[in-house]
Amino acid sequence: MATLIQQIINGLSLGSVYALIAVGYSLVYSILLFSNFAHGGFLVIGGYICYGVLHTFGTGIWVSGALALAGAGLAAVLTERLAYRPIRERTNVTLYLLIASLGMSIVIENIFVIVAGGRFRALPPVIPTTPVNLMGMATTSAFDLLSLVSAVVFLGALQLFLSKTRWGLAIRAAAYDLRTAGLMGVNVNLLISIVFFVAGALAAVGGIFLSVRYTLYPQLGAITIKAFVAAVIGGLGSLPGAVVGSLILGLAEMLTAGFISSQMRDLVVFSMLVITLLVKPTGLFGKSVSEKV
Amino acid sequence: MSGYTEGIIILLCINAIAAMGVSLLTGFTGIFSLGHAAYMALGAYTTAILTVQHDVHWLPAILLGGVVAVAVAYFIGVPTLKLMGDYYAIASIGLGEAIRLILENWQSVTRGARGYPGIDPYTTFPVALAFFLVLAVFMFNLINSRFGRACKACRDDYIASSLLGFNTARIRVLSLMISAFYCGVAGALLGGFLSFIQPVMFDMLKSTELTAVVVFGGLGSMSGSLLGTAVITLVTELFRPISQYRMLIYGAVLVIIMVLRPEGIMGNREFLSWVKAPFRRRA
Repeated sequence: MATLIQQIINGLSLGSVYALIAVGYSLVYSILLFSNFAHGGFLVIGGYICYGVLHTFGTGIWVSGALALAGAGLAAVLTERLAYRPIRERTNVTLYLLIASLGMSIVIENIFVIVAGGRFRALPPVIPTTPVNLMGMATTSAFDLLSLVSAVVFLGALQLFLSKTRWGLAIRAAAYDLRTAGLMGVNVNLLISIVFFVAGALAAVGGIFLSVRYTLYPQLGAITIKAFVAAVIGGLGSLPGAVVGSLILGLAEMLTAGFISSQMRDLVVFSMLVITLLVKPTGLFGKSVSEKV
Repeated sequence: MSGYTEGIIILLCINAIAAMGVSLLTGFTGIFSLGHAAYMALGAYTTAILTVQHDVHWLPAILLGGVVAVAVAYFIGVPTLKLMGDYYAIASIGLGEAIRLILENWQSVTRGARGYPGIDPYTTFPVALAFFLVLAVFMFNLINSRFGRACKACRDDYIASSLLGFNTARIRVLSLMISAFYCGVAGALLGGFLSFIQPVMFDMLKSTELTAVVVFGGLGSMSGSLLGTAVITLVTELFRPISQYRMLIYGAVLVIIMVLRPEGIMGNREFLSWVKAPFRRRA
């Protein structure tokens, strides 16, 4: 029983990190209708900035974390400017954007291979990992609880931003119909930059937590494929879907690792993707395909 | 010819066979796949196991490798090809990774992540070239056949072509099966060339590369795909001395091509149309 509770908390904690990344995917997808495979790169950028600032300046996690968020957000905006906007202005074939994003993810990953080297790095102990006893029922690490709490905080902030601010309204309008939103006077290019900034910053939060949970290395971004699977299970373009899908995926992964075998966890993830697509291609919360393609 | 040049040409032939398969599916039928390396893996492993453990001659073994890829493609394709657009691409990522993970975890048959050594080096220069020529002739005839035109009709307007009486579902599945055969054979030849295979060789990056080469060469142009393969294979070979920067350049080339010339090198024209153009009368 204790193991079960422990695995559920582990799963929720991992799922909440996935959720931070998956929400970024879904935000970009809902506006531009393409899957941004370079998203994993923003996570790696965030992780490395956090690591670099912690090591060279020795500032606390708050300063380095904030710099990592800003840096990854700016990198995401820059990626959009350099790679996606020229394509966007020329055609509306999302396939070209998809390929360009694959290229960008390779570029970002290999910049870090060249600059920082391929070796694994451990973040200094900025986030406590001491064991916490949960009312005698189970033991879990403080890190798992912290990542769960910070995911809730950041996702709550995103929800407030989307529902209460003018830009949030514009983003919701653009997710419904980008062209019409543009015709109604929304500055579409600025809006897309904002969306990419938010997505990049959220990915950086996920990146910091992932590099504490595992270690930091240039290929860490590959883990976003799972966040992407979560976004698909929840329904691409739907933010609540991304969160629910991530939690389901985190739970499934940790329960498989805990009770069956840790080698099977990736297989479970990809089987869930295929089964979802076969049974309900639009995911749990997705809009119907005819409405949005 | 030195062994190195010969090796590059063999690699070129193998990559070109796989690219032709993906080109038929992506360029001509308009189905975007990100999991085709899995079919290469199936072909490579089938052939390796048959030749090493069951002493089958390499020629039937390679063809059987292709057949296994076709069989798996059929079982995968019938349910999943109902998905349209991006959704099939997403499903193909999952399917491709699932096949790779099964190969990686099925220790008793595939030796898992350590890879499969000791494959007989049957892919010699004439073998690779012969396979390439036969498959290329077949493919170039196929795309101008009734079936090839049906594929293009499916790509250009799915609804209109089904109204015109094409069995669009069948064409999509057949196109996937043929492309799986090409990739399976390419994988089998790759195993014979390197005499060692490993599941990680057939990961998503390889699938991406296959699709990228086709888009780079020009969607809807078979000779463009061949040209794209030649350029990408040679570029990655030439940059091998600065191996650190190799992947960086490859990624940057992908982005730059998409930005500057998204329709690819050849667009949807073939080499032959250029050769014939000067002799054609202007209207």
